[in-house]
Amino acid sequence: MSVKGGYFFRILDVDLTRGETTIVPIDESFVLKYIGGRGFGARLVADHLKKSGGKCDPLGPENILVIAPGPLTGVYLPASGKNSFVTLSPATGIYGDSSMGGVFGVELRQAGYDAVVLRGRAPELSVLTIEDDRVGILPLPQAAGVSTLEAEKLVREATGDEDMKIASIGMAGENGVVFSCVNADWSRNAGRIGIGAVMGSKNLKSIAVRGSKDLPVYDLDALVRVSREGYDYLKSHEFFRFWQEQGLMSVVDYANAMGILPTHNFKETVFDRADKMNGYVMEDRYKISDTACFGCSMSCGNVCLVREGKYRGTVTEGPEYESAAMLGSNLGASNFAYILKANALCDDLGVDTISTGSIIGSMIEGLEKGILTQEDLDGDEITWGDEEGILRLIGKIAGREGVGDTLAGGAFAILKRWPDMEGVLSHVKGLEQSAYDARAAISMALGYGTSDIGAHHTRAWTVASELENGAGWGLEEKAEFVIYHQTIRPLFDMLGVCRLPWIELGFPEEYYQRFYQAVTGVERSMDDLLECSRHVYDLTRTINVTLGIDRKDDYPPRRTLVDPVPSGPTKGNVVDRDEYEKILDLYYEKRGWDSDGKPSLSL
Amino acid sequence: MHLTVIPERCSGCKVCELACSVGRQGVNNPKKSRIRVMVLYPHPVIRMPIVCKQCGVPKCGDGCPTSAIYRENGIVQLDREKCISCNQCLTSCPFGAMFLHEDIEQPLKCDLCDGKPLCVEACPKEALKFHPKHILGQAHRLAAARNYAKMSKVEYMDGGQRKVLHYTKARGKKDER
Repeated sequence: MSVKGGYFFRILDVDLTRGETTIVPIDESFVLKYIGGRGFGARLVADHLKKSGGKCDPLGPENILVIAPGPLTGVYLPASGKNSFVTLSPATGIYGDSSMGGVFGVELRQAGYDAVVLRGRAPELSVLTIEDDRVGILPLPQAAGVSTLEAEKLVREATGDEDMKIASIGMAGENGVVFSCVNADWSRNAGRIGIGAVMGSKNLKSIAVRGSKDLPVYDLDALVRVSREGYDYLKSHEFFRFWQEQGLMSVVDYANAMGILPTHNFKETVFDRADKMNGYVMEDRYKISDTACFGCSMSCGNVCLVREGKYRGTVTEGPEYESAAMLGSNLGASNFAYILKANALCDDLGVDTISTGSIIGSMIEGLEKGILTQEDLDGDEITWGDEEGILRLIGKIAGREGVGDTLAGGAFAILKRWPDMEGVLSHVKGLEQSAYDARAAISMALGYGTSDIGAHHTRAWTVASELENGAGWGLEEKAEFVIYHQTIRPLFDMLGVCRLPWIELGFPEEYYQRFYQAVTGVERSMDDLLECSRHVYDLTRTINVTLGIDRKDDYPPRRTLVDPVPSGPTKGNVVDRDEYEKILDLYYEKRGWDSDGKPSLSL
Repeated sequence: MHLTVIPERCSGCKVCELACSVGRQGVNNPKKSRIRVMVLYPHPVIRMPIVCKQCGVPKCGDGCPTSAIYRENGIVQLDREKCISCNQCLTSCPFGAMFLHEDIEQPLKCDLCDGKPLCVEACPKEALKFHPKHILGQAHRLAAARNYAKMSKVEYMDGGQRKVLHYTKARGKKDER
């Protein structure tokens, strides 16, 4: 097989300690096996871990951060704006990645690199500038403590260029909050596992990129034919317009109706005021325009403005479902203007909305249950729906003030200080649960439990399918379904495209094989490509096993196994522990891992 | 015919840039397109496709030392034989609607793709329209009329009597044109 397009065959390696950059060539066998994006990141992190003797402090200068778009990023095809950030996570101590939309990854590819590797630590707070072949590290001490947007402004001033694409961290990233994000294009985030803190630990406030190169496409005519067909397919979908109007905010009503909407820190799964914070409320009163990531016709981004009341003037891109649910119903709050304010605050400070909502929810429940005292929260009283209290706590987390210093350490730091919080704080492997309750769908519980980065929904979002179609499924089918999701989803991250056309509008998988073939000139079947992503999942598992993960870490959040759903359509549901042991055994067996969850692969 | 931009509808996806660079330059490179989406945030939030308006009096030609810019059949053209790549037109155009790329010697400029603009065809948000000229301004005329209708009450005379008609308060839906 010879690769005729899709790659520049080079990685930019930046040593921030020495201020040196190197171009590292990659070969055909590497790109054929790992494809790009998350695949490249996983391989590079595994290599690095092997070289470091299996040990690496995520927040030490020895950790590396890989930024990798894929061979389809920036190419003329639907939703090609994705870019992966891959590293060892300070939240979980194991493998972590996050993919970001927008236009940043496209610009990075146009600068002529298949990936960028950051290592070391700059002597002072800096910005990395990449303008095609010119790479520089500029001191940016004036950006200390400023918001992500302000950082962007300062970078534009320092570089004198208004048109660079900039990714920045906020105060939270500088302060090592283990669930801090990297933010670009105003409100696109690489979230969840603390990429912001890793960047902060390297004294890097921002990365500014300008690229001018043609993206290598082998057969442009074939690409245009398939892409036009693809764009037409999406446009003709019955929900296309509705998706443009509401995007992921349409999920609020769905989750509430199905009984999977996190409410009051995952205690309940329906929220009686969900109709105050759904997509229609957003459309009618707050939405001022649509936004889209690069190349995407689905424009799921919603720009919202608060026109009146005490949050007047708040403008943000968002929320999407996860943020609305975690900062809204999960905290017993339904005021949409407040949700926008909290979302905007999280983006400014650079913290993940999911983990923030999950942690604050557990604090409120902890107080309610008497596990925590008011003194634990610096004398602050905080209750369900307490907007002021929640916003204050978000600020304290980012600034590591008072109790915020503990909360900034994520699930592990909280459980170390208050071990009794284990039944209250929903997490897997130290990563807080995202906004889908799993008690009514054991496949979702397995998805959370076996996710390589912790309790995150994007690894295997099986809950809707199981609830809608899974009545007759046996455990074996459910385990297979989770593996199917965990296999196809990484492929999107490896190619550098978004999964939403596929999962939300049923965009057929075969298209991606056709796009890949037009761009790279390599004829491969979809099964062959999926074999690559399956290998990458084994590889990230091997990284985790090297770092001490085994079967004991593959269980869903405690509440999923212990507390039956109290009300609503999923009332009484709880995942049975024996059933879970059975499905976990089946899962390992089907993956070819041993009964302790160890693959036969070595690093 | 006129290429009209409706910035309120633009999502910033840049599919227009892709369609233009792929179709006209034969490369996948939005930096070589003849239309560019400028994005400003956070307040005000603007996504504005910038493209040649084919002006009746093309200001881009001001100062062109070789008179390489001329207008023909309603389209402002660049005479590639005459052009000396001095780039004066880039700063003369009041809209910044001409573009440079280091791989290409002469400025990039929209010529409406032989009457079938690829960007218009590709735009998923209908933010780009290719209209006959008499359509121009209709959106504003319609908006003005509809705004009047959004007033909650209108007083009028009927058979010598003063009457008041109450309208349902319109919710902030966007004008369709």
